[in-house]
Amino acid sequence: MNEPTGVTGAPGPSIEARLVAEARAGNRTAFGHLYDRFAPLVHGVLLSRVPRSDVDDLAQDVFLQAMRRLGSLRNAEAFGPWLAAIARNRARDHWRRGEDTVELPDDVAGAPHPEGEALSVFAAIRRLPEAYRETLVLRLVEGMTGPEIAERAGLTPGSVRVNLHRGMQMLREALGRSEGP
Amino acid sequence: MSGDYLWDGSGEPDPEIQRLEAALRPLRGTSPAREPRLRRPRPRFSPAGWGALAAAAAVLLALAATVTRTRTPAAAPVAPAGWELAWLEGASWQQARVVRETRLGVDEWIDTRESRARLSVGEIGEVRLEPATRVGLLDAGERSHRLSLARGVLHAVIWAPPGQFLVDTPSAVAVDLGCSYTLEVAEDGSGLLRVETGWVGFESRGLQSLVPAGAACRTRRGVGPGTPYFETAPEALRRALVEIDFGSDGRERRAALARALASARERDALSLWHLLSRVDGEDRGRVFDRLKALVPPPVEVTRESILRGDRAPRDLWWDELGLGSSDFWRDWTTRWSDPKAAASPPTQPAR
Repeated sequence: MNEPTGVTGAPGPSIEARLVAEARAGNRTAFGHLYDRFAPLVHGVLLSRVPRSDVDDLAQDVFLQAMRRLGSLRNAEAFGPWLAAIARNRARDHWRRGEDTVELPDDVAGAPHPEGEALSVFAAIRRLPEAYRETLVLRLVEGMTGPEIAERAGLTPGSVRVNLHRGMQMLREALGRSEGP
Repeated sequence: MSGDYLWDGSGEPDPEIQRLEAALRPLRGTSPAREPRLRRPRPRFSPAGWGALAAAAAVLLALAATVTRTRTPAAAPVAPAGWELAWLEGASWQQARVVRETRLGVDEWIDTRESRARLSVGEIGEVRLEPATRVGLLDAGERSHRLSLARGVLHAVIWAPPGQFLVDTPSAVAVDLGCSYTLEVAEDGSGLLRVETGWVGFESRGLQSLVPAGAACRTRRGVGPGTPYFETAPEALRRALVEIDFGSDGRERRAALARALASARERDALSLWHLLSRVDGEDRGRVFDRLKALVPPPVEVTRESILRGDRAPRDLWWDELGLGSSDFWRDWTTRWSDPKAAASPPTQPAR
């Protein structure tokens, strides 16, 4: 399937909404495109809440749940916020159920090897309030821009911007660094 | 300017933020788009593996749509020893906890009794089994992925290309055409299929029902699948279909057909289209007239051709129903109810 291209002229359904419609109709390629677009969002939402070693399996669960429940999504334009909500709920369930929470060592074969600084920075981010934590993980770890975070997570650009700046300020303080130039 | 860079990456880069980005990048999730490399399959899928599978499915679908359906040695699935089976206990799926993990081998059967179970479908999906469900594994992927559901309730989510996952029931075979669905089988062998996303083919001895998302289909032992209907269909139509499909009194069935046609909405063209091949003579003519009023057929589809039972014009009419092209499922039509036939190299598309 060719991925739908953007439309011009009168506003129509977004690319995501069109992909959702096709995925609902059984087009797995469309669901694959949705996966590609939203995997960083799901990964970031989970990474800001649960141990790294559990993120991949939980992300799988989130997309499985989404695939199962796609028919219940009333507004196809809200796929991103809906998916993010599933991911946040899945993370809450993870803690509530007391599922495996043992953090795997970073030298596990095949796993990336983050530098020591990365781990200390990440640990500092994990100690921030939830809203700042999620936004910073999406921006600094997943590489999403502020506008992308707002659009895909269904947040207002203003709130994302505030969370980014306040979160960054708190992170700098936590790391003992001064405000940037 | 650092604010602009933090917000959208524009403006003069902030060296501190850039350093953090570089340091944290190894923690980033991988996806096929970002990291197009194959990974060794794991017992459970990582998102990267899942995405790669989706991409592989896309490629397979594209190939299937354009190339004569043949299997190459490279595409042949590896025969696994069985499927992962997790036993769960709890009052609901939300509260259920895994209490034991094992495998279900080919030709092995389980009865969930008072428990729930989660069964992997090789590496192409997952099946959840409700309590009091009896299933057997017929083929773990050597030729197809095939279960037999003797009794109970099964929820399936499959992410492989269509036609790879089949479930035998005492009265029909359910063939995944890209979907998630629930299949119930009662003690007497009758069944009910409810499709949540995508499509499912329901077949017995050549009698086929194509069931899209939001629709359901009943089946009875000795008869096969009934006429599919949308779950929002009027009650009168749904009741009438039971009589048409499974009733034994000719007069009652004819009266039910009249009620079905009178109560059908445009969306119920799905049901009426199926009835075209399930009734004959004058009754077929009545279905033709009602369906024509709801969804006008293409000009080349004549009353005579439909009354003769020609499939080509019927398929052309299907394409007008707003349910997608008939090519989609005709290309995947094989003799599903015959395990040997389903396991053999696929036949040419029926059209």
